[in-house]
Amino acid sequence: MSFTGFRSYFCDEQRSHCQLWAINVCRLIEANVTSLIINSEEMSDIRHALLRRDPLSAAKEVLYHLDISLGSALQSSTGPTPGLEKSMVELVEEFIFHVPKDRNIQPKRMSCVQELQLLEIMCSYFQEQSKDAIRQIIFSALFSLQGNKADESRMAMLGKLVSMAIAVCRVPILECAAVWLQRTHSAWCVRLAQVLMDDYCTLVPCAISTLQNICSASPRFCCQLITAVTALYDFSSDELTPPPALLEMLVGWITEDPRLLLLTFINTPLNSSLPLGCLEITPLLGLLRWCVKAPLAYQRCRKPALTNGHGESEKGTASEELYSKLHLSVLQVFLMLQVHLTEQNLIGRLAVLPVESVATLVEEVSRLCEKLTPFPAANHIQLALDRLAQALQVAMATGALLCAREDLRALCSRLPHNNLLQLVMSGPVVQPPPHSGPFQPNMYPHIHPGRPSSLSPHSPHPVLSPHPALSPHRPLTAHTAHPSLSPHAFHPAAMAFPYRPIR
Amino acid sequence: MSAQGDCEFLVKRARELVPQDPYAAKAWLITARTLYPADFNIQYEMYSIERNAERTASAGRLLYDIFVNFPEQPVVWREIAVITAALRNDSQDKHAQFLKGVFETLPGPVQCKMLLKATEQCFNTLEKAEMLLLLLKRFPESVVQHGVSLGESLLEAETVENLDTPVNCFRKLFVCDVLPLILNNPNMCLPVSLLYKYMHKAAEFYICYVTREPSADAQIQGSQEVGGLKSPGRGRSQRYVIDGLSEKSSVVTEPWDRLLEMVGVVGSLCDWQGEKASRSYSELLQRVSELCRYMSATDSEGFSRCCAQIVTCCTLVLFHSAFHYVSAVQPSLFQGHTSLSSCPWVLLEDLSGVYTDVEVERKHTHKKRKLADGREKTMSSDDEDLLAKGRGRHIVVNKAEMPSWAETLEHFRTARESWDLLHSHQSLETEFAKICSSWKTEIWMWFRIFLTDMIIYQGQYRKALSSLGLMSSLQLQQNPNQNPLSSSSSLETQRAIIQQASCHYALGEYRMACEKLLEVVSGLMPQNHEAVKSSEEQRKPRSKTRRGNDLRLLPCTSKSILPFCLQLMLACFKLRAFTDNRDDLALGHVIVLLQYDWPQGENLFLKAVDKICQQGSFQYENFFNYVTNIDMLEEFAYLRTTEGGRVQLELLPNQGMLIKNPSPALGVELNTLLLPGAQKADRHHTVTRGITKGVKEDFRLAMERQVSRCGENLLTVLHRFCINEKIILVQSLP
Repeated sequence: MSFTGFRSYFCDEQRSHCQLWAINVCRLIEANVTSLIINSEEMSDIRHALLRRDPLSAAKEVLYHLDISLGSALQSSTGPTPGLEKSMVELVEEFIFHVPKDRNIQPKRMSCVQELQLLEIMCSYFQEQSKDAIRQIIFSALFSLQGNKADESRMAMLGKLVSMAIAVCRVPILECAAVWLQRTHSAWCVRLAQVLMDDYCTLVPCAISTLQNICSASPRFCCQLITAVTALYDFSSDELTPPPALLEMLVGWITEDPRLLLLTFINTPLNSSLPLGCLEITPLLGLLRWCVKAPLAYQRCRKPALTNGHGESEKGTASEELYSKLHLSVLQVFLMLQVHLTEQNLIGRLAVLPVESVATLVEEVSRLCEKLTPFPAANHIQLALDRLAQALQVAMATGALLCAREDLRALCSRLPHNNLLQLVMSGPVVQPPPHSGPFQPNMYPHIHPGRPSSLSPHSPHPVLSPHPALSPHRPLTAHTAHPSLSPHAFHPAAMAFPYRPIR
Repeated sequence: MSAQGDCEFLVKRARELVPQDPYAAKAWLITARTLYPADFNIQYEMYSIERNAERTASAGRLLYDIFVNFPEQPVVWREIAVITAALRNDSQDKHAQFLKGVFETLPGPVQCKMLLKATEQCFNTLEKAEMLLLLLKRFPESVVQHGVSLGESLLEAETVENLDTPVNCFRKLFVCDVLPLILNNPNMCLPVSLLYKYMHKAAEFYICYVTREPSADAQIQGSQEVGGLKSPGRGRSQRYVIDGLSEKSSVVTEPWDRLLEMVGVVGSLCDWQGEKASRSYSELLQRVSELCRYMSATDSEGFSRCCAQIVTCCTLVLFHSAFHYVSAVQPSLFQGHTSLSSCPWVLLEDLSGVYTDVEVERKHTHKKRKLADGREKTMSSDDEDLLAKGRGRHIVVNKAEMPSWAETLEHFRTARESWDLLHSHQSLETEFAKICSSWKTEIWMWFRIFLTDMIIYQGQYRKALSSLGLMSSLQLQQNPNQNPLSSSSSLETQRAIIQQASCHYALGEYRMACEKLLEVVSGLMPQNHEAVKSSEEQRKPRSKTRRGNDLRLLPCTSKSILPFCLQLMLACFKLRAFTDNRDDLALGHVIVLLQYDWPQGENLFLKAVDKICQQGSFQYENFFNYVTNIDMLEEFAYLRTTEGGRVQLELLPNQGMLIKNPSPALGVELNTLLLPGAQKADRHHTVTRGITKGVKEDFRLAMERQVSRCGENLLTVLHRFCINEKIILVQSLP
C-alpha cells in the first residue's frame, strides 16, 4: 500500500480526522484495493470536512488523499500514467496552495510555522517514498504548472521545498526537481533558479558551500541547475551578471567532472518530446554565452568603476581566469560529446547546439561589440571573438553544431574582424594528408586495469552508463553534413582524455 | 593563407598565452587541432604544455597520439629516448618519475613498440641490453622472441670484452635479469644442454659474487675511516660496485637462495629424477646422493642420464657448504664478512692427549707401525693414515669462542660429503673437473683453504702439505705486493705454516714440525698465562679414548696458538725423551714444556723423574733458565738428597764438561757454547768458582734464585725458550 508514507503523520490528529481516516480505510477494503475513484459527491463531502479544519491538517489530509488515489491508480493501471481527477486538483489548489474556490469562502492560510511543518512533511514524504514513479507523479501533481492563478503559490512552495531539500540534502526531491526543470518552460525554471540563487548566493554568501556539495549527491539536478542559471544570468545588467561565487562553484563542478554537462543529454531518450520553450538540453550554449560575453560585459562594468582601485580589478582578474578555464572545459566537453555522438551513430543527425540559438548569441555579441567600439576595449572584443570562434570551430568539428562554413560566414558577417574567426569562417586550407590511412579509433586499448575509465562503475554518475533507448531519433531538418566529419574518424575509447585527434 | 601559415599562427598564439593564461593556450590548440588534425606541431605543442606542467595522464594521452600519428618525426624519437633513459636508470628525480609515469599510461603494444625502436637506436651493448630487458620484463610474450638472443649477446659481450671475472655487468644482467625471464616463461622451450650451460653460468656468477674479495678501495677506505667510525666493521665492505653498473644495481640479494630457486626451475625443466624443488642445499644433496646410490646400483645407462643432474647439484652443494665453512674459518677473505672481531681459525691435530702416559701411546704406535710395515709395499703413508683416521674423525672446537660451531662443522661435513660423492664415480669426476676448469676454481683461494682442511681431515697429510704449498703460491700470485707486516696477512701466513707443522707432526716428521712451529712462535706475542687457563679447563673432560684421531679448530691468535705450539713440541719430544736410550736433552725439553698447563703433565713429569732416578744422573744445562715451576724445583732439590737417591744433577752450564763428558750429549754441549744469550752470565759465574768443590753451593744458590723467579710469566719464559733454543731444539730431533 502506498499510503504508508503519509499515514504516520496523522497519528496525533483529532478525532474527526480519525473518523475520516477510518471511513477511507473501510472504503479501501470495500473497493478491494483494486481501484479507488472518489466521485465528485464524495469529494465535496471531503471538502466540507476539510474546510472545518485548521489549514495544516487540511493540507496534510489532501496530501494523504493524493497519495492514496494516485498510488492505487498507478498500481491498478498498467497503461499510461494515470491522470489526475479534476476534483483532486481542485482540492490541492484550495488546501495546499490556498487559491479560493469561490468568492465567499476564503480558505484559511497557514501560519509560517505551519507552512514549515508542511514542507517538512513533504520533504519526509518524498524521502521515504520508495517508488520512483509514485514520487514523480505526486511531485508533478503538486508542482506542474497549470496556467492558472495557483501557479504563483506553486512556484513559491516549490522554491521553498527545493531550497529546503538542498539544505538538508534530500536527493529524491532534487531528482524530481531535475525532471521538473527539464519539463517546465524556461521562464519558470529561471524563476526557480532565481529563488535558489537568492537563498544560497545572495542572501547568505557562505551558504554556497551547501549548494556546492549537492553536486555529488544529485549531479542531474546540478546539470539542470547550471542550464537554468545560465539562462538567468545573461549579462544584460549588473544584477544579471553571474555572481563570482556561483561562477567559481560551477567551474569547480565542471573541472571535477566535465561530463556533468552532458548528463541530462545522455539520459534523455531521443524520442521523448519536451514541451516548447523549455531549457536547452545541455548547459553548453549557456556557458558559452557566459564565456563569450563576459569579457565584454566586465569591460562595460569596469568603465564607470575605473578609479575604484585594486580590489575590483583583482576580482576581475580572478573571474577572467575562471572564464578562461570554463571556456576550455566547454571545448573539452564538445570533444567528449563527439565521442558520444559517434558511439551512438548520431553524428550529423542531431543538433546539440541549435543554429538559431547560436545565431542569437552571435547577434548579441555583435550588438555588445558595437556598443563598446571604438578602441579602448579592443583586446576584450578580440578575446570574446577568439572564444566565439574557437567554440564555433570546435562545435562544428565535433558535430555539436550543424552548420556549413558559408552559413557561418553569413551568420558572423556583422562581427568585427578577428583573425581566428576569419580562419574558422574560411575553414582549413586543404592540404594533402602527410601519411596515408585514417586514424584508427580503436588503437588505444585499455590494457591497464588501473586506468580510471569515466565509464567505470565507481563513477559518481551511475546514470552515465549506457544510453537508454536510442533507436528512433528526432528527425532533423535537412542540413549539410560537416565536410571534415566522418564517423570512423573518432576513437570512442578516449573519453578520459581531454584532447583527442580529430580527422 | 597556407595551411603551414595557419598552423604556425595558431601555435604561436598558443605559445604566447602559456605563461599568462594556460587555459586559453589549450583552448587555442584544441581549436587548432580540429582545424588541422594532421599537423604535428600543434599536437607536439599540446604535449609540451602537458609535459612541462607534468600532468601525467594527459601528457601520456598526447604522446600516444603523436607516437601513432607521427612515427617518423625526429622530435618524437628524441622524446622517447629521454623517456626510456628515465626508465632504465633508477633515479628518484621528480621529472624522471614523471616521465616513467607518462610511459606507464601508454597502452602495452605502444610501450612495446617504443622500447623496440629505442633499442634499435642503442649502440652500446649494455644499454641495448637494459633497454631490451625493460621490454622483456613488461611483455613476457616478447621473451620467446628476444630472450635467448639477448642472453647470448650478453655472454658474447663478456667474452669479447675479455673480462677476468664472472662478476661483471654483462653476467649480472644475464643471470639476475634475463635468465629468470627465460626460465620462468612457460612458452620457452630450451634444449637441456643450453639449460645446463645457463645454470652453470648462473652458478659461477653467484658463487663468485658471494666469494668476492673485499675490494681494494673499500679496504683503503676502511682503514682510513677506522679512526673515526664507532663501529669500524660497518663502514667497510658495504659498498661494492660492479664495473658498468650503478651501486644499486650491483647488489645481488640472497645469492644462494636465488641460486637454489634456479636449480628448482632448471630441475623441473630438465625433468630431473626425484626433483621437487628442494628447500635447502642439504636436501638437494640428500636427494642426489639417494639418486646416485639407486642409479649406480640399478642401471648404468640411467646413471649416465642422471650424471649431469648429480654433478650440478653436488657441485652447488659443495661450493655452498665450503663457502660457509671458509667464511667462518677465514672471514677476512670475503667482501662483507670483514669485521674486527672475527679472526681466522685453523684446523690442527688435537693434542689434548699429549699429557697422557707415554707407555700406552707408544705401544699403540708400535703396533700401528708393525701393521704399517706389513703393508708398506702396497700403500703410501697417506693411505695408511686414511685407513686409520679418515672416517669419523672428531673436530674439537671451543664452543664459547665460536658460537656458530655447529653450523660450521655441519657445513664442513656436507662439503666433504659432496666432494666424496663427486669422486665416487669416474663419470661424475670427469664432469666435475670440467666445471672446475671452466670456472678456474684452482685459483679460488678460499676453495683451496677448504680443500686443504678436507685433505687434513682425511688424514692425507702429504697431500695436505702440497696443498698448503699451492696455497702460499696462490697467495703470492694474488697479493704480490702485500705488506707482510700487516696483521691479517701475517695471521694468514701463520695459519698455513702452523698447519704445515701440524701435518709434519702427524706424519712423524718431528724435526720439520718443530722447525715450522718455531717459525710461527717467533711471530707470536706471549699473553698473560692466567688468561689462557680458563680455556684450557674445558679440555679436561674429553675422553682419552679418541686421542690421536681428533682434530681441533683453533682461533688463529697468539693466545691460542702459542699453547698449541708448546703442546706440539712436547708431543715431538715426548717420544724421544722416553725411549730406552738415554736422551737427557729431550727429557729436559720435555720437563721445560711440561710446566705449561701444570699440573696436567704431572704424571709425565713423575715418569721423567723416575727415569732420572733410574739413570742416576741427569744433565740439562738450560734447567735454571727455563724451569720456574716450584713443584719441579722442589722435586729436583729432593733428588739430590740422600733420601731422594743422590741423583747426580748437572743443571748448570759447563758443569758437565768439567765433571764428566757423557758421550751422547757432547755435540749438544758444543752447540750450547755457540749459543749467545742467557747462558753467558752463568758461564761467567762458573768460571770464578772452584772446580768441583763449589758445585753443591752453586746448585743451592741457583735453586734459591730460581724459587724467586716463580712469579715470572710462564708464557714469556717458554716463549723465550722457543726463540733462544730454536737451533738446539730443532737439532735435537731426528
